Amino acid sequence: MSLVASLRTDAKRELWFVWYSTVAFYSLYTVVFFVLTRTQPPGHPWLTPEQAVGWFADRHSGLLVGFALIFVLGGFSATSIALITYSIRRMSVSRAYAYSYLILYAIAAIPGFVFICVAMTVGAMRPDRDPVLMHWLYDFGFLSFSGTMGVFLVGSLIWMAAILLDKNGVFPRWFGYLNLCNALTEVVIAPSWIFQRGVLAWNGVIAWWIDVAVFGMYTVVFIYLLRNLIQRDDLGTGPVPALPPGAARRAHPLAKVIAG
Amino acid sequence: MDGSRVSRSGERAIFWTLPAVAVVWIAAFFLFPGFVPPMSPKASAAEVAAFYRDHLSRVRYSMILFNWFCVALIPILMLLVERMRGMAHRTPVLRYCVIGVAGAAPIAFLTSTVFWLIAAFRPDRSPALTQMCNDLAWITFTCGVPFLIALCVFVAVAIAYDDQERPVFPRWVARFNLVIALALVPSCFAGLTLDGAFAWNGFVSFWVKNVAIAVWIVVMAVVLRNAMDRDGIAVGVGA
Amino acid sequence: MTAVEDVHADPRVDEVEHVPGEGDMWFFVLFESLVFTSYFCVYLYYRAQHEQAFLKAQAALTLPLGIAETILLLTSSWAIARCVQQTRAGRYLSAQRFAMVTAGLGIAFLGCKLAEWVRLIGDGHTFTSSEFMQHFFFLTGMHAIHLLIGFVVLGVIVYQLADPQRRSRQTIETCSTYWHTVDLFWVLIFALLYIVR
Repeated sequence: MSLVASLRTDAKRELWFVWYSTVAFYSLYTVVFFVLTRTQPPGHPWLTPEQAVGWFADRHSGLLVGFALIFVLGGFSATSIALITYSIRRMSVSRAYAYSYLILYAIAAIPGFVFICVAMTVGAMRPDRDPVLMHWLYDFGFLSFSGTMGVFLVGSLIWMAAILLDKNGVFPRWFGYLNLCNALTEVVIAPSWIFQRGVLAWNGVIAWWIDVAVFGMYTVVFIYLLRNLIQRDDLGTGPVPALPPGAARRAHPLAKVIAG
Repeated sequence: MDGSRVSRSGERAIFWTLPAVAVVWIAAFFLFPGFVPPMSPKASAAEVAAFYRDHLSRVRYSMILFNWFCVALIPILMLLVERMRGMAHRTPVLRYCVIGVAGAAPIAFLTSTVFWLIAAFRPDRSPALTQMCNDLAWITFTCGVPFLIALCVFVAVAIAYDDQERPVFPRWVARFNLVIALALVPSCFAGLTLDGAFAWNGFVSFWVKNVAIAVWIVVMAVVLRNAMDRDGIAVGVGA
Repeated sequence: MTAVEDVHADPRVDEVEHVPGEGDMWFFVLFESLVFTSYFCVYLYYRAQHEQAFLKAQAALTLPLGIAETILLLTSSWAIARCVQQTRAGRYLSAQRFAMVTAGLGIAFLGCKLAEWVRLIGDGHTFTSSEFMQHFFFLTGMHAIHLLIGFVVLGVIVYQLADPQRRSRQTIETCSTYWHTVDLFWVLIFALLYIVR
């Protein structure tokens, strides 16, 4: 059945709608931040005001167009949150976990991308602004983006706790522990508020490169596991069914833990 | 439909906050001297500083009003979410999507009021600083619409998936929401130009965007009232 | 599958090769080890770049204190191993006592660490005072966070042991795996920061 046809009739179409939206959103996000605006990897914190002006000038059109796209489509970040909240509701734990996660990540969108979009757009729109002010906008953009990871730290811990306490087998336990790994890397970004250079600066080897590597892996994994969840979901309450026989062979080897 | 299981008590009271909120918002909108007509992005720093000096009280009081009531639409959006319970969906994911954006949207608006208020707090600040605060406020206000666009799309999808004999909302409401979403899209590009129809004071980025939001509120209020009537919550006058 | 049934019904289980605790915890151990290894590589790289500066700052550390902390944690690993051993043998009260001993030693370690940090900061060696100190506080801080999580994990063990309905040998083994990992990380940090000069 074609994708469009299945979306029209499938009882799970609302789940597939949010899942495909999640994939599209993260793909767009990656392209905008890494390619269009070139704000990731981040600019150096040690730039002087004049160099900051140059940084904005180098990326003038990219910043304005790229972040305009995020202004249009950033709200679709809610789809991944909604799907994860749903996955927590399928667990045997209290609804408090699901609602905590939902609220936490909903508001996280503001420091998560709105601030950097606004700061960089305002910086790029007036290239002749006072360099000291451009420097401030540069700091505001990057620090509000990287330094507010505390929200995601707590969010990961909530999801981890829910997964480890869950008796319905919605996610494999190793993914619960991966949430802990992700939460610990969010801790690592905190020193970016303190250091202007070095491994713990907002673009440092530890605070950015290793951090993003872990986060990237984590994101790919949870998108994959959410797909598995939707496939296995029987839309009832109680234990989530095991993977269908063929799927277990095709799936990631560790995913067999769910089926077992 | 699970209206019988779920309590509907008090929903009427929430609904009738909407006209009160509308009055406050409209009053604040006209009180702020920078909306009618909208301030130009091309104004120099000196002109922006002069604007704040000359219209200090109006800026402050209008923004304080917005600041207080920017979250006022959240309860109304929750009434919408409650109507979505009656839709023929198998899971709550679309409700969660709406709740997610309902939380973020007012905070984006709040942030813009904060920047306007900061600009107005020390009118004798360096004009370049005041202009930057003003820019931050306007860009946040004009471009900070991703959550509203997503909200319209989620509502449209929810209605499209509401496959039952008597859907909660009529089908045209879905198309209406998509039109509104499209109407909001151009304003996201306001940072690209300092004049013309797409600048933050331009016809498309200011008037089309804000009128679209106002129309959405009015139309959805009527549609919501009809849906609430069907759910057995009498919302007419004198009910 | 409870611990009691395991131990008494099939004593061969201990002889058959099996991975103690959940396989999932070993995934975590592997992943965190990779992350910590990357932190260590970064440290060694920057140390090679500025060897003299690092050596100078390293002199502020007191080796005896580091050795004491290492002994405390190694002993705590022994204690939790005994706890698991007692659990397997069905001697739950004894197991609980060993779990408490582990916690006590962990707290003693934390106490030493805090005292060390306070002394260093008092002497002017702060997070930002030198590149070596940046790495030192970062690595020991991250380790301390892992240790705090370790207390939560010990709490799970105590909670499990308290009630006959709950005693799951697998869970207790899983928890002890975590504690051993935290100990391992400390040994590596100790070697890198205190000994390698």
